[in-house]
Amino acid sequence: MKLELRRIHIKDIQFGNETVVKDGILTINQEELVNKLKEDKRIKEVKVDLARPGEKVRIIPVKDVIEPRVKIEGEGNGFPGVTTKMAQVGSGKVNVLYGAAVVTVGDIVGFQEGVIDMWGEGAKWTPFSKTYNIVVDIKPVEGLAPHTHEETVRLAGLKAAEYIGEAGRNIEPDEVLVYEMGSHAEESKKYPDLPRVLYVEMLISQGLLHDGYIYGVNSQLILPTLLHPNEELDGAVISGNCVAACDKITTYQHQNNSVILDLYEQHGKTINFLGVILTPELTTLEGKFRTCDYTAKLCKTLGADGVIISEEGYGNPDSDLLMICKRLEKEGIKTVLITDECSGWDGMSQPLADTTEEAVAVVSTGNVSHVIKLEPADKVIGDINAITTLAGGWEGCLKEDGSLQCELNAVIGSTSEIGYHNCTVKLY
Amino acid sequence: MKRKDYQIITNNPLVKENYDRVIFVDGGFQDVLIKTRDLVHSGYKLISHPLGASIRMFFSPYRSILITDKADKLDMEHVEIIENSIVSYKKQMDHRKPDEANSKDYACIDGELLKSALEEHERLSI
Repeated sequence: MKLELRRIHIKDIQFGNETVVKDGILTINQEELVNKLKEDKRIKEVKVDLARPGEKVRIIPVKDVIEPRVKIEGEGNGFPGVTTKMAQVGSGKVNVLYGAAVVTVGDIVGFQEGVIDMWGEGAKWTPFSKTYNIVVDIKPVEGLAPHTHEETVRLAGLKAAEYIGEAGRNIEPDEVLVYEMGSHAEESKKYPDLPRVLYVEMLISQGLLHDGYIYGVNSQLILPTLLHPNEELDGAVISGNCVAACDKITTYQHQNNSVILDLYEQHGKTINFLGVILTPELTTLEGKFRTCDYTAKLCKTLGADGVIISEEGYGNPDSDLLMICKRLEKEGIKTVLITDECSGWDGMSQPLADTTEEAVAVVSTGNVSHVIKLEPADKVIGDINAITTLAGGWEGCLKEDGSLQCELNAVIGSTSEIGYHNCTVKLY
Repeated sequence: MKRKDYQIITNNPLVKENYDRVIFVDGGFQDVLIKTRDLVHSGYKLISHPLGASIRMFFSPYRSILITDKADKLDMEHVEIIENSIVSYKKQMDHRKPDEANSKDYACIDGELLKSALEEHERLSI
């Protein structure tokens, strides 16, 4: 498969009479976008707002972030199996509005937090303070069941990204990134001496607000499955998560999965990258055992020498992460785990809900309990009431001057377990 | 045929109202974990993991956990999972209080996640 991600660098965004890109400035026809989204009769009201890096703007509660793109050559524009008809993605040419992001806001439940601050202390922690954000606030018609409400907001975000991405169709890109990889047989022939490395990407797969989708299939229903890395970079995987703000993998992060990009970078140099295994994080223990056995079996069958495993979420998925690690290490396959940690305010507590002696190479992407202070914003996009939820939930977390203290777990992408974020690590 | 080989340990009034086979705990999330621990130590096995998959669900006032309907011999793996879950929960809630202001929504989502867990259990035929 050969995929070209053709980046058009976006330097500013504004509203205007048509949706176009000119000289790196993305103009959006607000009315047209709203009308497009309101074709879904479940949507009562759509508000579109813009947020630029550095502005004293707070966006809350964020549901998903999506990169606007358009496929100009090859099968499958958009998100096949979800918003467009089924197609095999991973090959062709995609024009990317690089630097722009669609951010969906929708309070499906009252306890959603998920904040993006575009300035100050908050901006330091989220990668989406550096993108030019088109914020789409979706209010559905009354009386929708929670599942339908979630689906409505999810699809609206994806459709908005498709609509805006279309503006890049005939624009010459500023840079072109090429991702090409042949079959295992071909690549192994090219790089017979390099260690074969697989990437196991775990996805929360546990029900409402805790789901992920692969070509539209809810990952709760799959056995672990192998993808060519290009498929994920080309829209095969989307997020249905709402409540794990700091460590959920947004659709944008799937489209730009840092682990995939880094492994690609090393492919043919230090490793032979075999692809991505998507592994559901189920709720039942029997389901977890089956999934972890099956993942280890796939890695073994494919002849992996080493496996990188990234987690999504915190709590019961820790068990899956360590079970996969244990099974692989017992088979003589080396593992590196990527996870965030929940190690208390002082960072001194045991970081995961589970542990195993085989987990000897672990990359931490940050402490979700780290406390930060957020200044009051000049403008809040979304639900102002969600600010109360954002505050820590302890005495004194809301200050008289309007600032508040919260834990990192409320900030979108702050401890991304696929490493798409702003923290760096120190080697111990 | 629907499986009936489970019990639900819960403090969620919505679950109590809508399901049979409920062991209702009049208390908080931690009390549900402790009741589960007691039963696991008596030979019951966990069907669903005691913890949720996202930090926010730790702040939920409600939790529902699936266990087997009959006691068997003690399973140390299950003992370890529930004990670790209690340690994790206490650590996470060290400084925080359950998010009571949104209790209605937490009750709803806990119910939805339980429904998914039961469906998953149903798909695993033993």
